[in-house]
Amino acid sequence: MIQTILNALSLGGTYALASLGLGLVFGVMRLVNFAYSELITIAAYTLVMTSQMPIIVGFLLSVVVTSIAAVLMELLVYRRLRGVAPAIMLVASFGLSKLLQQVYELCFGALPRSASIAPWMSGELKFSGVSITNTSLITALLTIVLLLVMRFLLNKTSFGIQLKAASADFRTARLLGVRANHLITLSFAMSGVLAAFVGAILVVGNPQVEPMFGMNMTILALVGIVIGGISSLPGSALGGFIVGVILSLLNTWLGNGRVYSYSWLFAVVFIILLVRPGGLLSKGQEMERV
Amino acid sequence: MSLGFAAEGLSKSFGALVVLNNVSLTIKPGETIGLLGPNGAGKTTLVNILTGYEQADLGSVTLDGQSFNTLPAHARAHNGLARTFQSGRLFSELTVAENIALGALSVGISSKVAEKRTAEILEILEISNLAENRANSISHGNARLVGLARAVVAEPKYLIMDEPAAGINEHETPTLLAALKTVSKTLGCGMLLVEHNVQLVLDFSSRIIVLATGNLIYDGKPEHALSDPAVKSAYLGEMSLNISNVSH
Repeated sequence: MIQTILNALSLGGTYALASLGLGLVFGVMRLVNFAYSELITIAAYTLVMTSQMPIIVGFLLSVVVTSIAAVLMELLVYRRLRGVAPAIMLVASFGLSKLLQQVYELCFGALPRSASIAPWMSGELKFSGVSITNTSLITALLTIVLLLVMRFLLNKTSFGIQLKAASADFRTARLLGVRANHLITLSFAMSGVLAAFVGAILVVGNPQVEPMFGMNMTILALVGIVIGGISSLPGSALGGFIVGVILSLLNTWLGNGRVYSYSWLFAVVFIILLVRPGGLLSKGQEMERV
Repeated sequence: MSLGFAAEGLSKSFGALVVLNNVSLTIKPGETIGLLGPNGAGKTTLVNILTGYEQADLGSVTLDGQSFNTLPAHARAHNGLARTFQSGRLFSELTVAENIALGALSVGISSKVAEKRTAEILEILEISNLAENRANSISHGNARLVGLARAVVAEPKYLIMDEPAAGINEHETPTLLAALKTVSKTLGCGMLLVEHNVQLVLDFSSRIIVLATGNLIYDGKPEHALSDPAVKSAYLGEMSLNISNVSH
């Protein structure tokens, strides 16, 4: 039971981080950045390629590489398309995602790259007859700490308050003086940092990295931000958390029927959206969203 | 260098419709100006051009001699121009205090100073009790005061208010008027009040400007505004009854 709860918390937390990473960029640009998937992937590749180094060094490199990749996405692609129709931005993000997958394939090959990353995390801890895997425990603790840090950043810092305002109403925030380029670049960088954490958590559990490594997580994180409330950053995190927890519990409870986990998950999502069409924490209509 | 926030020869058309026609005005430091005009007079377009939300077809905007023509909206805010919005536009996910602090944080003021100024402006406007409330949980009248507080917390040189009395009831209007006078007295910024409530404008302003069909038809003292033939003519049919009931 404790293992089930920890698994649910750790998977929920991981999806919450991914949804928040997507939500940060969506908030200020109204852009569903499908290439977020490739940020998770590059983070995982970096960890695999640096697996001979101490894990902390490999992880810090992964954070730096992923943040730079995220900022470059903004500077080289999205900034140049600023002001175009949302549909064009959406297609651009699809295109960028596909392009990066091809680049990864050229660089690392189509077959999975694997390495032993933090093997000590695959062990188990035993408390009075109850076994808990190190991975679940550390992931749960890490995601809780990260979400608390993000909560502090969003609620207690100047950047966070400006970001929340811009996410809710970018036009008004601009008229009040919020610097758009500055805020958007920082949002991409933070989104990259979160993608690095998500990539690290995923690659420790499954060290088989291939060009579409981050795709599944990104699609479900998108589902998370939709059910949480697409213009609300706390809503994005909450939605991602709910998706992760439901998926984890379904995987445990369904046993051999876990192949139907996604069907049940989307049934729950469908019900949530029937009751709260704008998402759990949404306040109004989302007419101009992509 | 000439001090003041000035618009010179502003013209704006949407297709064949001329919305502003060669409009000029200057707000001097500390001056309180009321801008009146019937529906469709061009008031909102003028506000949008002054604050950088829209571009004029012709004309220039300067603040204390510095050209604002090519400055985007956020840069105008950084250079001392603040505004309030007709629909309030508070951020519902933020508290009242955060909404106000945002007005300072967004122009580069540090968190510590923003917090201090927020507390001061809450005190001045006598709404300190609302500080920790969510912005979407307060009354419409209080939301107007919060919008005003957010606009002045960075101590701008000039403030443009777009119909601050829109949607508030007659009992809340005196509170708003008192708040406007307090802000004017305490901060001393030049203020342009764009408003449909004629009595409020007359009670607050030291100078009145009247727009009609995109043309500036009156620029002078409040006491003479309503008796001006051009103003009477512009309002005839729409607000003549209301104007006749206004006291000054």
